[in-house]
Amino acid sequence: MTKNYLFTVSILMLVCALAMTSCRARKGGRRASDNIGGEIGSSLDDSLPTRVEGDLNILPSVKYDAVMFDYDSAQIGESERTKLEAVADYLMNNTDVGVIIEGNCDERGSADYNLALGERRALAARAYLIGLGIDGDNIQTRSYGEEMPVNPDHAEFAWRVNRRDEFIFFKR
Amino acid sequence: MNRFVSAAIIISFSLLAFCFECQSQVRVTKGMNEVSFLNLSGFKTQGDNVSVAFRRTLESDLTRSGWFNLSGGARAEFTVIGNVKPDGTRIIIQCEAYNTMTKERCWSKTYRGKNREAHVLAHHVADDLVFALTGQPGMASSKIVIVGNRTGKKELYICDADGAGLHQVTRDNAISLSPRWSPDGRQIVYTSYYRTQFPDIFLITLASGKRQCLADFPGLNSSAAFAPNGKELALILSKDGNPDLYVMDVNGNHLTRLTFTKRAAEASPSWSPDGNEIVFVSDSSGTPQLFIIGRSGGAPRRIAVGGSQNVDPDWGANGYIAYSSLFGGQFQIFVFNPATGETKQVSRDNTNYEDPSWAPDGRHIFCMRRQGYHSRIFIVDTLSSSCISLIKETEKGDWFAPDCSGKYRNIR
Repeated sequence: MTKNYLFTVSILMLVCALAMTSCRARKGGRRASDNIGGEIGSSLDDSLPTRVEGDLNILPSVKYDAVMFDYDSAQIGESERTKLEAVADYLMNNTDVGVIIEGNCDERGSADYNLALGERRALAARAYLIGLGIDGDNIQTRSYGEEMPVNPDHAEFAWRVNRRDEFIFFKR
Repeated sequence: MNRFVSAAIIISFSLLAFCFECQSQVRVTKGMNEVSFLNLSGFKTQGDNVSVAFRRTLESDLTRSGWFNLSGGARAEFTVIGNVKPDGTRIIIQCEAYNTMTKERCWSKTYRGKNREAHVLAHHVADDLVFALTGQPGMASSKIVIVGNRTGKKELYICDADGAGLHQVTRDNAISLSPRWSPDGRQIVYTSYYRTQFPDIFLITLASGKRQCLADFPGLNSSAAFAPNGKELALILSKDGNPDLYVMDVNGNHLTRLTFTKRAAEASPSWSPDGNEIVFVSDSSGTPQLFIIGRSGGAPRRIAVGGSQNVDPDWGANGYIAYSSLFGGQFQIFVFNPATGETKQVSRDNTNYEDPSWAPDGRHIFCMRRQGYHSRIFIVDTLSSSCISLIKETEKGDWFAPDCSGKYRNIR
């Protein structure tokens, strides 16, 4: 009986300890180990960094390819990962540079829902970059929903290029 | 055993209550479908511009209300008599309504106002007449806030419920989105990028023109909607790592997070008329669908309705939820009754109808119609399914996201 009791208690303590370490890891949240091999396209349940506002020193010459998305999806597809790896490489080598990820949607459906979906797309790329070792404090997100299409046409060829994350770099 | 008996009693009582509710609903709906003939020929107006404008607005408001046919002549069920007297820069309007058969006077009232407010007075007369003769609130004196892009940027505009008096409210030269009225119709809450280039939530007080920022957390701040008590807002924030539903005092205090969906986006909250629940959009099931959650949180429950997407809910003061549903590649406006689980399609033609907003009469819905390359605002009658344009064709640009003021007028 007592043995059984002790066993239960020790199991409980082990569980608590595990839970505490995992909370800690999540709180830290910005280390590479957190997200590598984790689920691609999921966002961290972790507070976003304070916004960078006002006159930013934008670096217009630094350009990286937009990450594209399937309809109604915030999953980062396999073909898009090399684009994020390139962004991560650049940020690794330029630690004084931060990035704003702008999430965009095609025009179909609810404009209000698309605002949230665009934010999910930006957060998915942010989570991926954090997984590659980039400090989350250097990554801001901004959703434009369906408000900033690159192609304002009303057909699939336009919608396809409008579902995207763009990267704006700035000197910190 | 006893417990079973009491349970049975409770169940049968609630069934009974439920039936009564259904019955009263049916009765009201049946009455609503009837159009009364109204004789306005005894309402005297002189040939001056002010009187003519007043008369034209009154007739159009009464027709638009859906309750009346003005072509009944002397056989009409109701007779309205009265006159418009110009008095310098002011007008005086006297108005009385009679039951034609019994000669019984149903209503009388005198209105005074400035000449240039003749159309505003006409809206008030129309709403008072609708209420006096049908017992239902009118929508003529409501204001509609909409988003327009005629300047090249999305700004807020306001017009009357008949499209008159269209004027621009914001001049931010930025993106303005999802405006919603405060219950008293004095303030508008909306999302704008104008100050930080990020989506923030702002509150405009119309009388003073004062604007204050209510939410500028990191990430997304959007989709704010006033509670019926006017003291709280439901809103969407991503500051904790993902777009989720929150409730906050209008003064910015007591922020409560209601949803915790790590892999889903929430959007478009709208409060139940008693303020106890919130309907919202979530894609936690894979596609954007409607859910209801308690105002303090808990487990959201999905509203089971058809359509591959169900978005932009607006919970009316009548208890019905209007929403936009994707069916066979097109969005149409539907109405959902949370008490019975029934749905009804209210827009029907071969275009997209989106973003519904209930009028205070609980009968009409303002919505956006996307057809070809243009989006415009339409008013749909949920009883007759008639659909008319709010803004004149000649007005430049596209129009989006209508919200009608005074939604809770009849329960306040």
